[in-house]
Amino acid sequence: MAPSALTTILVAEDQADIRDLLALNLRSAGYDVTAVADGREALARQTERAHELLILDLMMPGLDGLEVCKALRAKGSATPILMLTAKSTELDRVLGLELGADDYLTKPFSLAELLARVKALLRRADLLRAAQANAQAQPSTIRNGEVELLPQRRQVRVRGESLDFTALEFDLLLHFAQHPGHVFSRSQLLNAVWGYTHDGYEHTVTTHINRLRAKLEADPMRPELILTVRGAGYKMRDAPR
Amino acid sequence: MTVRFKIALTIFITGALTALGVIATVLFAFARFEHESAYHRADAFLGRVMANYDNLFEMHERYPEEFGPFLRNLVLFEPDTQLYLLDARGTVLVSTGETKLPPGFKVALTPVLQAAGKAAMPYVLGDDPERMDDDAVIAARAVRRSVIRNDEPVSGYLYVVCHKQVLSEGRGEAFRSAFARPALAFIIGVVLLTTLLAVWIIASVTRPLRQLTEAVSSLSARGLEAGLADAPAAPLPPATRDEFGQLTIAFEMMWATLRKQWAALRRLDHFRREGVSNLSHDLRSPLTATVACLETLDSRWANEPARSDDRALVEMALRNTRNAARLVQSLGDLAQLDEPEFKLRAEGVDAGELLDDIALRFAPRAALQGVRLSARHADDPGATPPFANLDIELFERAIANLLDNALKFCPPGAAITLAAEAADGQVHVSVADTGPGIPAADLPHLFDRFYQSRQSVAPATGEGGKGLGLAIVKRIAELHGGTLAVESTVGVGTRVTLSVPARA
Repeated sequence: MAPSALTTILVAEDQADIRDLLALNLRSAGYDVTAVADGREALARQTERAHELLILDLMMPGLDGLEVCKALRAKGSATPILMLTAKSTELDRVLGLELGADDYLTKPFSLAELLARVKALLRRADLLRAAQANAQAQPSTIRNGEVELLPQRRQVRVRGESLDFTALEFDLLLHFAQHPGHVFSRSQLLNAVWGYTHDGYEHTVTTHINRLRAKLEADPMRPELILTVRGAGYKMRDAPR
Repeated sequence: MTVRFKIALTIFITGALTALGVIATVLFAFARFEHESAYHRADAFLGRVMANYDNLFEMHERYPEEFGPFLRNLVLFEPDTQLYLLDARGTVLVSTGETKLPPGFKVALTPVLQAAGKAAMPYVLGDDPERMDDDAVIAARAVRRSVIRNDEPVSGYLYVVCHKQVLSEGRGEAFRSAFARPALAFIIGVVLLTTLLAVWIIASVTRPLRQLTEAVSSLSARGLEAGLADAPAAPLPPATRDEFGQLTIAFEMMWATLRKQWAALRRLDHFRREGVSNLSHDLRSPLTATVACLETLDSRWANEPARSDDRALVEMALRNTRNAARLVQSLGDLAQLDEPEFKLRAEGVDAGELLDDIALRFAPRAALQGVRLSARHADDPGATPPFANLDIELFERAIANLLDNALKFCPPGAAITLAAEAADGQVHVSVADTGPGIPAADLPHLFDRFYQSRQSVAPATGEGGKGLGLAIVKRIAELHGGTLAVESTVGVGTRVTLSVPARA
């Protein structure tokens, strides 16, 4: 482990002003921050000492944020990565998340939001570690009608058939399955599953619920598993006894 | 009426009129010929009579009883001819006709004088006492008591009438049989043939014109975008040397010019979008740094009461910088949405549920403003759910912008209602408020970029603050293949309806 008790964060950003401001504020929020100016150096620093979180600018001279991301994931690193981008195209978002980044922020962002995202990512990482640590404690199977969840193996079976889910889709489904009959609003789900507290990303929840329904429901237009509660949010039907 | 039809009609009418003229002329000539030959015959007959009998008046006076039969004998071999003896004033003295004339009956004297005069006439028309007609062919000779002395006054006239009845009957008959039938058929045939020929010639002459018209209308039907992309859908006529060929060449040149200008315009538009996009991109880093600086200062001074004035300034700077940042972001996003390569990430979703969620998301802000915000549902549970293919992020952004705009203008106590319903293959999503309404003059420009109503100065919140939020809504509607409609009454409220195709 790191010599200091502080959580270590590596910031790679080619714009000196932004880099300094990020370092300043992260430090005053109580993190141990290393700030570098390009991707190559970020990769080198991460290799010599594993930081607990990475904040990468997408556009950097030399190696850019995506390439650093790819290289790290290829080495099997699971360190959470927050990507900073000046472009808000869908393409960038998809690439960022598919190539292994855990979250992204579009410039210009507010420091408060950045700090909240950092906190959320670290908490998720902690939860994941804890879940892996006491995997034995989790029930081996959660069943709701024809849908079967295997939390330890992160698998979903519908009528005995295994289906592919992304990490977030699985987490969302697991959250519902652990609280059958409980109604959640989009912002509650965003907070519980994604770890965000900020306004403006609720559509992500809608998109994911929509995908879950497309995969799980016989008729996505008339869902029977993940139900809408008008004016309140969403819930999973009570597991039939 | 097409030009072709007009020209054909003109030719047909001309042909028909010509044919009628020819027939009329022939009829006239025929009638005149008949008149002339009848007159000639009657005149010659009178000449013969006068040569043989130079004392007709004496004969009449001496043998009044026998004179009638004598005259009748004279015309025995002259068919359809009646012979009369007139006195000098035109009174009929003796007639060969069967009709009994009243005593003292007179015929018009002028034709008699014409016919009896020295000048040669083609023919003379005069009275027919038998039929009370006044345009029968007549002939007349002056009769004197003494043939020796030339200066003896005229004592009467020998007057011949050729019956018209026979003539007109004969004319009709002759016309129908001998002349008219083949001639008429011939004329009609010629007229029809000419017309058909004209139609054919006009059709072949106007074919290039029609092809050009088709090419032009295919261009307008497909629009410049697709129409200019490749060759015209309808083939252009061959470039002949005539006026049509020149028109074709001119059209091709116009086409080429249009294509060139369109390409230039597209390129320019692309550069403009790219410029806006790059500008927006390049402004983000300095804005990020500025916002971060100000936020750092703000949080650093949060617990220093002595700095409260400075803090107010920093907050003002922060607020303005954030607005600038939002504007920059909206501009960049709009430029991106404008790119022809931009693709939606659409998925089937229940628009009603999305509205529920959006209402939930905006509920705290609405409550803060004292505005009632609700999502309305169809009461009928069997109604078709408003399912549509939507890019959830963009569609939510559009509705959020509309909602933000409504909240901006609604006073406390107003109500905002969101509704989604499926009808006629469309999903209609509406945001209705009971706010102050929008002046009719502003409605057509509401969704234009940077349009700001002069009457209402909106607080600069939401997307770009000024005039970009609704432009983004419009672009998102277009990207979904949908339409945007606004109804508003000042003092009553506004309803914006976004209609997109329903998911089949």
